[in-house]
Amino acid sequence: MFCDEALDSVEAIAAGDLAPDGRVASHLATCPNCALALEGARRLEASLRRRAAPTAPAEFTSRTLARIRRARWRSDQFLDVGFNVAILLVVVSVVAGVWMLLNRTGIVSVSGDAVNVFGSGFVALARRVAPALPLYAGAAALLVSALAIWWWAERDAAL
Amino acid sequence: MEDVHERELVERCRSGDEHAFQELVDRHKDLVFALIARTVQDRSRAEDLAQDVFLRIHRGLPYFRGEARLSTWIYRIVANVCLQEHGHTPATVSFDDERTRAKAMPSAPDRQFGDLELRDRLEKAIARLPANYRLLIAAHYLNGVQYEGLADALQLPLGTVKTQLYRAKRQLRRLLETDLK
Repeated sequence: MFCDEALDSVEAIAAGDLAPDGRVASHLATCPNCALALEGARRLEASLRRRAAPTAPAEFTSRTLARIRRARWRSDQFLDVGFNVAILLVVVSVVAGVWMLLNRTGIVSVSGDAVNVFGSGFVALARRVAPALPLYAGAAALLVSALAIWWWAERDAAL
Repeated sequence: MEDVHERELVERCRSGDEHAFQELVDRHKDLVFALIARTVQDRSRAEDLAQDVFLRIHRGLPYFRGEARLSTWIYRIVANVCLQEHGHTPATVSFDDERTRAKAMPSAPDRQFGDLELRDRLEKAIARLPANYRLLIAAHYLNGVQYEGLADALQLPLGTVKTQLYRAKRQLRRLLETDLK
């Protein structure tokens, strides 16, 4: 039995995982170096077992939950922005696609004339309606107020 | 009974119950924090990393299939966070370190270890161990983390975990002896 062989099992013996068999036990009893190694390993084992476990700070749970909420909010924001950008891109693509289609088929020039016709019609209509605009605005305000009061009364009844 | 409660807790967390997640954090925070604090030393950094662990748990719960115990899954996340902190890639972590194969020859100063002195030197020596060894020692010497739990968490064979722990302790003993010379 050489020291190398005994030293290989010193940690396992100190941890209680291995009972030294006859050969190892007799070597450890006669070799001062290996006996010292076993003694050191046992002291180390005992010290490691006695090490106090650090405990989490008192506010750990609340801080962790706050951080999770922040992370979730950021993730939601990111999703919102991503969704809005995607929608914008889709709209721009559709508009560009329709415009290119109209341009290639020559409908744009026809539709330009149509827009002019409709445009002049709208201008004439606006001129006729303009004097009565305050009246329409007042009526609309009354209608909105009535709807708001109705909604408020309904909500209170539901509560 | 404990397993049933654990499953219920996971289900409640999955359904978005914040109180359930708070209970989960309360149940595991000390173990997670202790493991990390013993590995990274700096207490405020340890808290940051422990919060990272719970953030990952929160994100990962919908994908947790319950094949392993919740605590095992949490140890795995802790191990990944600790090893990433030290620049390791978990998937390629090698627990074989040739340097640690060197034999720790006993020496006369070994006798001089007083328990108190050893404890002081122990922390410094542990800080000099490779991150994977620090993690193994930290996890093994915390209550309730046995060889089997470690093997599951690190996805290593039981024998490998034991061998690596012996090597870690041998290296630690060698560091302590060298320190005394």
